[in-house]
Amino acid sequence: MRGFWVRLFFLGPAGVLVLLFFLLPVVLTLFLSLTDLSTVTFSQPRVVGLANYLELLRDPSFPLILKNTLKYVALTLAFNVFMGLFLALSTNLLPDRLGEAFRALWLLPRITASVVYVLIWQGIAATAPYGLLSQVTGVSVNWIQQYPWAAVILANGFVGASFGMLLFSAAIKAIPTELFWAAAVDGAGIKATVRYVVLPLLRWPILFVTTYQTLSLLTSFEYILLLTDGGPGFYTTEVWALYAYHLAFSNYYGNARFGLGAAMAAILVLVGLLVSLLYLRLFNFRHLLEVPRIEVE
Amino acid sequence: MKGWIGVLGFALLASGLAQQTITLQAWTIGPEEASRTRATNLVEAAEELNRILEAERAPYRVRVETSFETTSWDNYHRRLLLAFQSGRAPDIVQTTHVDIGAYAEGGYIVPLEEYLGRYRTFQEVVPALWSAVTYRGKRYGVPQDTEARPLYFNKTLLSKLGWTSSQIAGLAQAIREGRFTWEDLIRVGQEAVQKGVVRPGYAYWHRPVNGPDFYQFYYACGGTLQNPQTGKLVLDRTALGCMYGLLGRLVQTGVMTRDLLGMPWANWHNTVSSGQVLFASAGTWTWAQWATQYYAKDHGGYDYLWRTFGFALQPAVRPGGKPVTLSQPQVYLVTAASRNKELAVRLLSLVTQPKYDAKHAVGSAHLPILRTTYVLPEVRNDRFLQSVRYMLDYTTYQAMSPDWGVYADAIFRGISAVEGGQLSPEAAVDLVAKDLRAKLGDRIEIR
Repeated sequence: MRGFWVRLFFLGPAGVLVLLFFLLPVVLTLFLSLTDLSTVTFSQPRVVGLANYLELLRDPSFPLILKNTLKYVALTLAFNVFMGLFLALSTNLLPDRLGEAFRALWLLPRITASVVYVLIWQGIAATAPYGLLSQVTGVSVNWIQQYPWAAVILANGFVGASFGMLLFSAAIKAIPTELFWAAAVDGAGIKATVRYVVLPLLRWPILFVTTYQTLSLLTSFEYILLLTDGGPGFYTTEVWALYAYHLAFSNYYGNARFGLGAAMAAILVLVGLLVSLLYLRLFNFRHLLEVPRIEVE
Repeated sequence: MKGWIGVLGFALLASGLAQQTITLQAWTIGPEEASRTRATNLVEAAEELNRILEAERAPYRVRVETSFETTSWDNYHRRLLLAFQSGRAPDIVQTTHVDIGAYAEGGYIVPLEEYLGRYRTFQEVVPALWSAVTYRGKRYGVPQDTEARPLYFNKTLLSKLGWTSSQIAGLAQAIREGRFTWEDLIRVGQEAVQKGVVRPGYAYWHRPVNGPDFYQFYYACGGTLQNPQTGKLVLDRTALGCMYGLLGRLVQTGVMTRDLLGMPWANWHNTVSSGQVLFASAGTWTWAQWATQYYAKDHGGYDYLWRTFGFALQPAVRPGGKPVTLSQPQVYLVTAASRNKELAVRLLSLVTQPKYDAKHAVGSAHLPILRTTYVLPEVRNDRFLQSVRYMLDYTTYQAMSPDWGVYADAIFRGISAVEGGQLSPEAAVDLVAKDLRAKLGDRIEIR
């Protein structure tokens, strides 16, 4: 019995946090998604069952938003993981101080406030005489409006890549030096070392980065909101989470539809769960948790 | 004697202590800087109210705490909504009249009928503005200002294009009489682009974000927004097709840039007011906004504007058709959360006086709401206000409905699809009709 209390004592604080900030919002979101809560009905919301979900299914923009979300997550994720990996590998091949300097540089977008970061992008991309790129190239267009997807993916990617870079660098540093010596003795060059020594040992961090970033990309929209606000034109870069935000909180006329927004968020929770399970399967999570077969003291 | 002074002093002290200060909170928005009088007029009216209260020997005084939003309507609406929902709404809220439908249905604001009859100042308000604040037969707000939305044209660029000064001077009248239509504007715009007077896409600009201006096209195309009998919103497919067709053509002919939607307001104002765009649809307040912010501020202010720009109604779509403009009156609303509703309305009755109305109108280039304001010398002598006043005869309004926001969002979605070149006007009409049918069911009439 004493063991139970000790466990509760240690797990309690974290448990309460998880309950309050993770589980409760999900339950609330699910409940909200079954009501017609909006600006208009705020004083007397009604429970409308699955009406919000049906409305989403009938929404003619639904397929486009879905496609945009897939495109955004897939391309940004690819950029983040590969760029992160590339940065980690390349900066580790450099002398330590130089490598660290480069990594610090890549952290800048992440530590810059998102609004400031996007203001810089806008400053670079605006039409002449306001924009740097237009001035330099002599082609006066709004580059973000012209290439909205490139802007969205790169702006997100520059922030996201540093996440993978940090984790992968740390993981590479943690690989016992003996393994590199052994590889060198066996005649492996840089390519073979990366292929047969580093990458297999990075499986865990790669799984983690991929899963974590997929989930955070699915729900993130702040940079898109600030860069293109889902435009230009007809929902060109509008993704699921942004659409939910627009429906529930933001538009010129201030008509917020919380119920509908919650339904979209609820679907996102479900998708997130499914994706996580899929990844665990794909990366053979159980195998990763096995007791290591090599142990270097 | 000393004893009497003591008693008197004590009595004064006691009356001073007993006097209560009631704080009224008021939230206002420009977002343009020049409209700050929406907040400061309230503060001045409160001083006036305090003098009256003093004369009445009332045991309380009023203090007004105002905030003035200068960012965007989107932010302001969100802030209001969160305040309403957390039960911490201010006493008075200034917003556009179309919000009344949704806010009244949501129970955030209260009808003012029982108070309005008590104050004489309200009787001078232009009657049409009372209809603009009426929802389900009750008046929910006190009009704050109104305006028209002109088409500005750049006189310097027109003369570069070879127009004579009498041609330029006659343009507003030609538009008013339906002799200069959107087709003419497209023709002139294309010519300006071809001759290099403006950059491609810089011959005509409308606003860069969602908003009321677009319904001017819809009205010019003969559209109706609301069925007066049923109060239901109306989607006129023919008029919407005509409007989308026109907007699409503006882009395809190279008259209007495809990059327009989503452009930051600051860039928009700087580009237009610095003389790089031939025609632009904006509001009367834009005149004051340009003079006090952006490019014109440092380049001669009003003198520069009068030299450079002319203004007219939004043209008709076909020869002999009716030109239009649109007004979106601003209103002061009293919130359900206010604990001093009666006092709030009393304050509003004082701010609804010609002197405040005139100060705001002259300073911000909005139009007065009181008939009696037009006779004041500062308004009579204001060249701009006098020059745009006739536009109110051509004005239209948006529809007052709790579903207006949903409707307007769908229409705007169609606009962005057509201008972005993703949908044909016909396909956009179909999409919007389908979307609104799904969202509003039988609360919308699609014709």
